Amino acid sequence: MFDAIRRFFGEKKSGEVAKKRMQIVLLHDRLSISPEVMEEIKNDILRVLSRYMEIDQKSIKVSLEKGDDYAALVSNVHVRRVYRHALSSPENAQKSENSA
Amino acid sequence: MAGTTIVITSGKGGVGKTTSVANLGTALALRGRSVVLIDADIGLRNLDVVMGLENRIVYNLVDIIEGRCRLEQAMIRDRKLNTLFLIPAAQTREKDAVHPEQMKELCEKLEQNFDYILVDCPAGIERGFRNAVAGAQKAIIVTTPEVSAIRDADRVIGLLEAELMKDINLIINRLNHKMVKRGDMMSTEDICSLLAVPLIGVIPESEEVVISTNRGIPLVHDKRSDIANAFKRIASRLEGEEIPIPTEIPGDSGILSKFKKLIWSS
Repeated sequence: MFDAIRRFFGEKKSGEVAKKRMQIVLLHDRLSISPEVMEEIKNDILRVLSRYMEIDQKSIKVSLEKGDDYAALVSNVHVRRVYRHALSSPENAQKSENSA
Repeated sequence: MAGTTIVITSGKGGVGKTTSVANLGTALALRGRSVVLIDADIGLRNLDVVMGLENRIVYNLVDIIEGRCRLEQAMIRDRKLNTLFLIPAAQTREKDAVHPEQMKELCEKLEQNFDYILVDCPAGIERGFRNAVAGAQKAIIVTTPEVSAIRDADRVIGLLEAELMKDINLIINRLNHKMVKRGDMMSTEDICSLLAVPLIGVIPESEEVVISTNRGIPLVHDKRSDIANAFKRIASRLEGEEIPIPTEIPGDSGILSKFKKLIWSS
């Protein structure tokens, strides 16, 4: 009886809830990245972004976040300005990096 | 003889590792295999009481490793089956009394004379876990249909895979079919899809397990028990027999099936 009322109000069965929760939790656990690797990712992101824009190197934050049914790598960086060459074409960006 | 060492592990405590070791070991011995059970839970030994052998302990695992006794002196023969032995854990020592290399050496030595060596792994993922896993070629993960047990099981599977363990199987313990039917418990399929390792058996939730543990006689000895048969089927599957898993999930628990069971078991 209570069960029927709960379902009427759109409450999911607890088994289903458990399964959904575990899908996300395990995704995260399996993605567990060591702090060293996280630091490397951070440096790589900085290096790539620096080709195109001037950024506040200290502002960067990289973290794993939980979505509804996915895990996301979220990075936040403060941009000071975008280089002029980056506004045109990718090849130009490449060239200017090589010459630098 | 080239025996096989199998570690029974779970990450989380209290999911039924020791019960599984006792019953699987007994089931294999009932099939005529020679079996040694090793309690690797140093400091918290329990396999001896579950097997009903607590009064016969003289030497233990640490005594063997530290050379205070010969291997055979620490092996306690089962009360009913003469091809089943227990090496108990030390109760007054700590996990670091044993090194993984020493465990590996011991398992290799036992493999020369026995068909199966089943290692009862302590909860956790620290030294005790590494000791228990060191000598094993196969692993059986025991989990229950609860979020905490499943999460820990997944972690342990990850650690075993990192150790390049290829043969990993899953036992789902204490499944309550009524609750699954009602939608209030994760089903066998749910758990298998989450953990992604092959299922080797499902043990329904039952009071029988508590009762047999109280007596110190593994449930497998009880010919009428469904749980006993579930463990026996796992033993058969371990030996390569192909028995479909659905046989472990009762079709219905109505009066007719109960009646049938009564006739079959008598």
